[in-house]
Amino acid sequence: MLVVLDSNEYIFAFGISKKPTSEKLLDIIIDSFPKHSIRIPRMIVDEVSRHLTPEEFKEFIEFIVNLTVIDEDFFVPFELGARYELKGLKPADACIAAYVEWTGAEALVTENRHFLKRSLNFPFKILTAEDCLKIIKPY
Amino acid sequence: MGKPNVKKAKMHLAKLRQLTSKKKTSLSEMTEEEVINTMRKTREEIWDKKLAGRP
Repeated sequence: MLVVLDSNEYIFAFGISKKPTSEKLLDIIIDSFPKHSIRIPRMIVDEVSRHLTPEEFKEFIEFIVNLTVIDEDFFVPFELGARYELKGLKPADACIAAYVEWTGAEALVTENRHFLKRSLNFPFKILTAEDCLKIIKPY
Repeated sequence: MGKPNVKKAKMHLAKLRQLTSKKKTSLSEMTEEEVINTMRKTREEIWDKKLAGRP
């Protein structure tokens, strides 16, 4: 299962703020790689990085680049983002939704309620870490 | 990216968690809901900055 983790999931999964379900989900994804894998856009890297010290940032980047590629935001067609804005998402959230569609990921994992309540008619699932843990098989 | 290296990724994740566990930050003192809202604000700020930087 290919997923995109939102920035809040990384903050929780890294233990900056405690949330065991997010930590467990990231551990399962890594332990079962490549059965499960992640993609990440530059915007989410920037958002997470803003809350890290330089030393933590270095570890974060090393962690990411050993698992996946960082996709630049401009790779995603503008029209795709505009479509999600029409569905009621804020421009920045629309950009993330467009990215998820562009990668062909099966789900966006987030705790952001604004996504969760607008998840109908999206070509991918929007799941909390807890919901994702219910459907993801470790091995 | 070169070839994925799960072993290395795990090592860096462990180090990152070790570093974050040692320090107290504004995020670590927040409730889950507050963290989510803070990250939403961070997204908006970064987005606004990106828009401002466009020609």
